[in-house]
Amino acid sequence: MIRKLLLWLLFLLLLGGCQDRIELEQQSYVITIGIDATDQKGIYALTYQFANPEVGYSASSSADEPPSEIVTVNGSDLLSATYFANSIVSKQITLDHTRVIVVSEEVARSDNFLRIIQSASRTPEIRRKVEIIVSKEKASDFITNNKPLMETRPHKYYQSMLSRAIQTGIIPKATIHQFFQITEGDADLFLGIYATTDQSDNKDDEMEEDQYIAGEIPQKGGPPTQFMGAAVFKEGKMIDILDGEETRIAQILNTTLDMDSFITTIPDPLMPEYNITYHYSQTEEPAIDIQYNKDKPTIIDVKVKFKAEIVAIPSLIDYTQKADDRRTLENAIVKRVKKKTEDLIEKSQKVYRSDPFYWSLFIRKHFKDIPSYEEADWQNNIYPNANINVEYEIDKLEFGKMINDTNLNEVRD
Amino acid sequence: MRQFKKSKDQEKKIKINKSLSKNIDEMKETFSYGLNKDFCMRTLEVKFSEYNACLFYYGSIVDGERINTHIIKPLLEQTGDKLSNIVTIENLEEVTDLEKAIQNVNSGKAILFIDNDEIAYAMDVAKFEYRAVSKAENESVIKGPQDAFTESLNANISLIRKQLHNHQLVNEAVQVGERSVNEVNILYIKDMVKDDLLSNLRERLENISIDSIRNIEVLEQHLEERPYSLIPTILYTERPDKATAFLEDGYIILLMNTSSACLIVPVTFWSFYHSPEDRYLRFLYGNFSRAIRLLCFYLTTMISATYVAIANFHSEMIPPDLLLAITASRERIPFPLVFEVLIMEIAFELIREAGVRIPNPLGPTIGIVGALILGQAAVEANIISPIIVIVAALSGLSSFGIPDLSMNFTVRILRFIFILAAASFGMLGLIGALILFFMYVVSIRSYGVPFFSPVAPNFKSSKDTVFRKVLKKEYFRPGFLDLKDSTKRNK
Repeated sequence: MIRKLLLWLLFLLLLGGCQDRIELEQQSYVITIGIDATDQKGIYALTYQFANPEVGYSASSSADEPPSEIVTVNGSDLLSATYFANSIVSKQITLDHTRVIVVSEEVARSDNFLRIIQSASRTPEIRRKVEIIVSKEKASDFITNNKPLMETRPHKYYQSMLSRAIQTGIIPKATIHQFFQITEGDADLFLGIYATTDQSDNKDDEMEEDQYIAGEIPQKGGPPTQFMGAAVFKEGKMIDILDGEETRIAQILNTTLDMDSFITTIPDPLMPEYNITYHYSQTEEPAIDIQYNKDKPTIIDVKVKFKAEIVAIPSLIDYTQKADDRRTLENAIVKRVKKKTEDLIEKSQKVYRSDPFYWSLFIRKHFKDIPSYEEADWQNNIYPNANINVEYEIDKLEFGKMINDTNLNEVRD
Repeated sequence: MRQFKKSKDQEKKIKINKSLSKNIDEMKETFSYGLNKDFCMRTLEVKFSEYNACLFYYGSIVDGERINTHIIKPLLEQTGDKLSNIVTIENLEEVTDLEKAIQNVNSGKAILFIDNDEIAYAMDVAKFEYRAVSKAENESVIKGPQDAFTESLNANISLIRKQLHNHQLVNEAVQVGERSVNEVNILYIKDMVKDDLLSNLRERLENISIDSIRNIEVLEQHLEERPYSLIPTILYTERPDKATAFLEDGYIILLMNTSSACLIVPVTFWSFYHSPEDRYLRFLYGNFSRAIRLLCFYLTTMISATYVAIANFHSEMIPPDLLLAITASRERIPFPLVFEVLIMEIAFELIREAGVRIPNPLGPTIGIVGALILGQAAVEANIISPIIVIVAALSGLSSFGIPDLSMNFTVRILRFIFILAAASFGMLGLIGALILFFMYVVSIRSYGVPFFSPVAPNFKSSKDTVFRKVLKKEYFRPGFLDLKDSTKRNK
């Protein structure tokens, strides 16, 4: 009797557990989700890009298959449409491995964006580290046109493309986690990744480096997709686009985003027709000190320490040997980056009336409780009226591995 | 040596008769003289008393040369006042009852009956055949003594006494078996080992009521408390140096004349986990090999099960590149993943079992069949995916890292339980099974010693558990043995 019971129990356990078991090959893995508007209100065109596991797998014989399959269906939210899409896709659709959510600029700028993206926070299938990309064109067009030549498998493409571009600072790290954090905190601006496959006609070759947004970068060859700049979201709605340089500055000042380092140029202070190239890298987080005044403008002191490594001096001026010139160079670098920063801060205070730097984190300690913080109103009151002083300081100025440059006179004798 | 007589023997005690011819008849009858070809009898007239005498022995288990020169020759030629001054054999025992005399003949002694004497004399001339001391093959080490026990009690004890020069090392004999009475030898250090433990062991040995216990391997199963348990509670080793190390720590060793190994009681998990080489290698090297062994324990029990759990229930945990690679490799496989894993694990067990049984000249075939057919051909035939081969090979290979055969079986069986647990409830099931297993193991006791001591429960010890300390910093003998002298070295 007891043996029978035990046997029963064993089978009960074995069979009871198996109900949510699913084999790997019975699932289709979504890498990219695209969100577009339709004519109907509340209904969106959702595009799913599935990875084809057999591409890139050495023992596989189906080399002719495309690396991914793209399907667009209509639905009211991200998850319900996956069941609808099963009328086209043969396997169970799994969102666990989604890398990015692409939103068309049209949807992002509409009031309804928050409604559709909301379901992403509710379902456990979508990770909080999925990144939000705003595309200039329709999201379905972006996904379809995005045909990388080398990393053809989509998950690999987004993994390497985003991580490198974020390291260099031309796009921000824009996870949906941070999106919800900032949007629900209702104080700061969220920066989304801005990208496009739609090359603009008014390409301006004369612009300085980094002052582009995606689609305007002059390009020959390569895939059509460009990642550059940031989409500015205020209260869950897109309001503007920052160019690459502004995005970088926003990331320098934002302690929650980590940008690695970048290489940029400034006009040579002694011979302005040449540029000097330097490698900017930050040794420590910027020090942000907020002095909160209830009745008069709040004072925000920001101090950024950075390291500059001079990479190229085409003017061949001997900065390394002359202390005065070196000081001039240092001042020029600091002055320039400070100017750019002040411009961005002014823009955010006057135009956006909120900050993309997540500085509200630093003022929260001045309040006793949440209601009093909310009453003080960072977004509408404190930040737009604050006096902000930004100080840059070169911690270390390096000149690469060579001290002296080529002496032009000696070469051309 | 202390002899323990069984109460049964005392009941049917027949005294030795004064008349030689009656004794001869009795002996002839008992040993089926004439039918029993190797039972020998030699009558002679002893010179010193001029009585007739008769010598009985088994021709096959005694040394004929010794009987000749040390017993027969002196008896025929020498004169003297008593027997012990005439025969030149080193071990002479006086026997008064027939039962005892018969037992002595069975264990390779020559029995001498003298007319008009109520005492028979048992003389040790046994010469059992045994293998020479050879290299330890199942528990080999690179650095350390290479000799192994052999199927001879005297040789084995000599191997131990060679390492442990201590007059407190006692070799006590207990007889077990009813039809074939065999001797079990208990070795221990008298001024160290706890009396309770010793009397517990003696009691268990005496309570074994069975026809015969041929060797130590059978004895092991008669001594253990839980014959159905997955966990071994007695350690079996063929290495004299390992046995001596345990003796020095206050454990008890059991030896028999018929086995090329010994038993060690009581045990803890660590006895199965350690290899003698850990102590022969330098501190860092020894601990490195312990770390690898710990990994082996983990891999061999858990890797297949973890793979099943993650692939079937938690695909979101696998990095996309690996996920897609596994998915692609499984596209054309007709079986569920659990089944695939089980096929490979069972195949590996097959190779292993066959490898042990296969006659030596056919040995290389196993390698070819195993590696080629199961590894490559099965993958090409789309029966299993290549990743499974890696998983099964890892878990199979790791199982060889476990130094003890019993523990090896434990772990190998456990692996299947874990795979089933993982297949039914994923990580939840796997961790559940692991926790239940640990709860069970912790509850096990071997001769009163908790299986995971000195870690849980905590005891004073030399802290030689997962890793060991520098030898100079080992101060105590294991506290869970409750020894009379528990200090190895004073601080």
